Amino acid sequence: MREFWQRYRRNKGAVVGLAVLAFIVLIAAAAPLVYPASPWEMAGAPFQRPFGEFPLGTDMLGRNILSGIVHGARVSLMVGIVSTFFAVTLGLALGALAGYFGGVIDDALMRFTEFFQTIPSFVFAIVLVAIFRPSIASIVAAIAVVSWPPVARLVRGEFLSLRRREFVQAAVVVGETHLRIILGQILPNALSPVIVMASLMIASAILLESALSFLGLGDPNMMSWGYMIGASRSVIRQAWWMSTFPGVAILITVLALNLVGEGLSDAMNPRLARKGRA
Amino acid sequence: MTEPLLSVRDLTIDLPPGSDRPHAVENVSFDLHENEILCLVGESGSGKSLTAAAVMGLLPQPSVRPSGGELLFEGRDLLKLSEEEWRGLRGRRFGMIFQEPMTALNPVMRVSDQILEVLQAHGEAGGEDRVTELLQAVNLPDPERLRSAYPHHLSGGQRQRVMIAMALALRPTILIADEPTTALDVTTQAQILALIRQLQSERQMGVLFITHDFGVVAEIADRVAVMQHGRIVELGAKEQVLEAPTHDYTKRLIQAVPTLDPPERRPLDRALTVLSVKGLGKTYRTAGGLFRPRRVVTAAKNVTLSIRKGETLGLVGESGSGKTTVGRCVIRLIDSDAGRIDFHGVDLNAFRGRALRPYRKRVQMIFQDPYASLNPRHKVGDIIAAGPIAFGTAKPDAVKRAQELLSLVGLDPSVIDRYPHEFSGGQRQRIGIARALALQPELLIADEPVSALDVSVQAQVLDLLADIKRRLNLSMLFITHDLRVAAQVCDRVAVMYQGEIVEQGSTGELFRHPSHPYTRTLLDAIPGKHWRARRA
Amino acid sequence: MKSVAILLAIVILNFLLIRLAPGDPASVIAGEAGAADAKYIAQLREQFGLDKPLTTQLALYVGGVVTFDLGWSYRNQRSVADMVGERLPATLLLTVTAFIVALAIGIGLGVLAATRVGTWADSLVTVAALGFYATPLFWVGLMAILLFSVNLGWLPAFGMQTPVAMPFGDRVVDVARHMVLPVLTLAVFFVAIYARLTRASMLEVQDMDFVRTARAKGLAPARILRAHTLRNAILPVITFAGIQAGQLVGGSIVVETVFAWPGIGRLAFEALLQRDYNLLLGVFFLTSVMVIAFNLVTDLVYSLVDPRIEVGS
Repeated sequence: MREFWQRYRRNKGAVVGLAVLAFIVLIAAAAPLVYPASPWEMAGAPFQRPFGEFPLGTDMLGRNILSGIVHGARVSLMVGIVSTFFAVTLGLALGALAGYFGGVIDDALMRFTEFFQTIPSFVFAIVLVAIFRPSIASIVAAIAVVSWPPVARLVRGEFLSLRRREFVQAAVVVGETHLRIILGQILPNALSPVIVMASLMIASAILLESALSFLGLGDPNMMSWGYMIGASRSVIRQAWWMSTFPGVAILITVLALNLVGEGLSDAMNPRLARKGRA
Repeated sequence: MTEPLLSVRDLTIDLPPGSDRPHAVENVSFDLHENEILCLVGESGSGKSLTAAAVMGLLPQPSVRPSGGELLFEGRDLLKLSEEEWRGLRGRRFGMIFQEPMTALNPVMRVSDQILEVLQAHGEAGGEDRVTELLQAVNLPDPERLRSAYPHHLSGGQRQRVMIAMALALRPTILIADEPTTALDVTTQAQILALIRQLQSERQMGVLFITHDFGVVAEIADRVAVMQHGRIVELGAKEQVLEAPTHDYTKRLIQAVPTLDPPERRPLDRALTVLSVKGLGKTYRTAGGLFRPRRVVTAAKNVTLSIRKGETLGLVGESGSGKTTVGRCVIRLIDSDAGRIDFHGVDLNAFRGRALRPYRKRVQMIFQDPYASLNPRHKVGDIIAAGPIAFGTAKPDAVKRAQELLSLVGLDPSVIDRYPHEFSGGQRQRIGIARALALQPELLIADEPVSALDVSVQAQVLDLLADIKRRLNLSMLFITHDLRVAAQVCDRVAVMYQGEIVEQGSTGELFRHPSHPYTRTLLDAIPGKHWRARRA
Repeated sequence: MKSVAILLAIVILNFLLIRLAPGDPASVIAGEAGAADAKYIAQLREQFGLDKPLTTQLALYVGGVVTFDLGWSYRNQRSVADMVGERLPATLLLTVTAFIVALAIGIGLGVLAATRVGTWADSLVTVAALGFYATPLFWVGLMAILLFSVNLGWLPAFGMQTPVAMPFGDRVVDVARHMVLPVLTLAVFFVAIYARLTRASMLEVQDMDFVRTARAKGLAPARILRAHTLRNAILPVITFAGIQAGQLVGGSIVVETVFAWPGIGRLAFEALLQRDYNLLLGVFFLTSVMVIAFNLVTDLVYSLVDPRIEVGS
């Protein structure tokens, strides 16, 4: 563990990313304490410029933009983490089965995965959320449904190559059961790329959620960054700040997650890391 | 003596900080003369390949760089050349061939274009015709057809011939060959060695030949330099180094090379038959899928063999001969599709899945790659104890047994809590042997158990196996491509070729009087077969 | 062949989604006619075949799709196929241009960064790619409008052309000016991806044996880069570009919405606002077909570049 942190620390960007991410998580957790009032409520006069009464100004209905951003962090992180959790679980299960057992099972599961990978994911997510009515549950589900195929393919590839490795064959020869071999021998060796992918997937889930909310498919009861941009884009000529700041929030969060993902990748594959940086 | 072509003086190459030693190569000096083959021989990590790379100016800089010495070629110190000047020498004055013919050619470029490229890069005329000439010179069949061939159309041996054609395209003065036959089968190796020797003497080239294999040295060298830990410990004419080595390390290395003279063995005719394989067949069909044509490869056909109690049967053959397939069918890692595998009279082919479990503990396997065969995330103790635990032994008992096994294979029982990466290749192979013994099997399948090891380590592991086998009265199916090893280890030998056993018999008989033409080809191809043919 | 199977699966999925969409067509029409009586609805259901077993309905639907019948938009009182059909050229213009621009710039920057590893040029490309990879497309679009249209006034922010009559030559220039911001907005995310991928792939290939062989042959660095490193490094980029085709088409929805580009993405946004599920699913179907087409093209390109892929397999 200490060795892992040593290697992680060598990537400066990743350390900054981790710090920023910790800060965002803190803000999201403390949102009700910082801004106890609902972010939907009118806080002052509409169209107030930033750096005046309100640090980031107010929108066309007089809502506090900073409060919206702070509360929006909760939604973004929650959607990102929960949908990634489901997508990774599904992808792990299908990929592991396909890669371990091979043959017909592999063929069937991979055709299935390929199908889901061909469907344009964003359009599919829009369709799913629209049909099942926008809500936090439908958004999380839609994002999970469109994000699992890369995980399945990655895990299948890892399992397929590990399955042929001699230590796995040795486990078969000494009489270990399939379940023990999958969980005890192969999975621990296949996990590090999955963890890296998961951290990057949280980032893309946040981007996906923001795009859905931007198009008006957000949960009508939850303040989110994408919604704030979508709602204020018609007044962008008069009030640039309303759509600019939430976008900066998305950018910083997603960037931090990507940096952490890269750091994890470097720390877990020291050999590749040196290659990439030299 | 004439002026040397190349004179290496006190060459020192630094390793990056934090490596296990400061210099990869230290104060190495040697001369390479016209019309001679100088073999640089050593085990892995001896610095022989880096020396070759330095002579070509191909060190992986900046992490590894030459820090001292001179490389004198035609009055110039190569170490002081600019990249521009190097480029004029490489390809024109120095040619190089590498170990892995499968990866040394650009996969998306026609081989003829890759040869043509050398001519064009150095402004040489002649183009297409010269390419055809070169392909002929390295004895490649049908040069016309090869014009449109890509590397993946060629076999390993053919690719290595293309590499040689490329390296010799501009008639270089010096050829550097870095383990050029290590990745090849023994019969292909013999052809490539003959080709190099022939082209070398035709063109009076100086060849710097890097190898780990003393057999190859005996076959091809004029002079030999032995390297250990980055230094040359002995340098001299081939006869002198091979027959009368002076340095201890050279002596040890040569002593570790198995002789081709099988020792006398007690007959086992009356012992119980443990394993009897009859008519075993295995055909691979690529799944193909709905719209792709299927490909069918017969890996094993009508294989019949038997092993008695306490006997070691060698299964020898080249890559793709089906020997590994047979081993894996016997231990039921893969299902065969024809024949019987009788273990004490019970046909293992009749069982599947759970029903096989009672037999799992009685037949165990030792794998080839000591790095891939141990789970990097499990402790050594857990690896050895996994089998007994799977069969219901209580954990404390299994751990105690693991400790005993560690001492049996010559390791300290206290290493039980370490992870595999803390061990060397030879030690790992010992752990693999301990794992196989943990279930107290009667039959061991050993799949190339020493071919990934350096020759000195190889000898120790073979001694250990022989000792354990004798003490526990085990039977063994020993799969190997190395006939020297087979001669020393096996009671009887079966030779496989294209999925079939073409000949089998007692080791002494088979080595002295091979009857099948393929067996003769195989024995004939052993590098340095006249050297150490008899035991001292 | 595989594409046909996937296409069929998409048609079936589409059918299921239509069935899941709130309100069957009969009640929608009845509701719009203001007549919600049960008998009229039953009559409508019979007319649309909604009383038949599911498999029969599926067969009817598949038969419809084969003849380019994607259903009826009750809101707009037009056939869905006509509506998406007339918007398709605008979307193709946008996505194909953005795709080519992204590949060209992305690969160029990736090669630049890889050949100058560790220099400021490499750092600049790496940082920029990281940043744009983390930026939502719609926000890039809005900021571009803010900067180039609102503040600088260089380029038009909305639509595909100026709604006045002009000669053909001027029209081409006019459309091109309208294209700049949407194309760059859509491309920038993919430039980031391709640049990162090309850089990583180049660095990996640089260490391969055959590059060492090329050096041992005494080739000039430019020749090694072009004929050996890049030729091989580009293969995973092509594969990935094919996989990413779906994202490109998805991104066009957002970009078309931001720039009021009259393509099927904009149509999807309008369908969302009107809760016109038939139209939305028509767009879904068409975008899926576009992705399959993109994939076929990239497969073809790949087989041309990599001789190891035998034609026909």
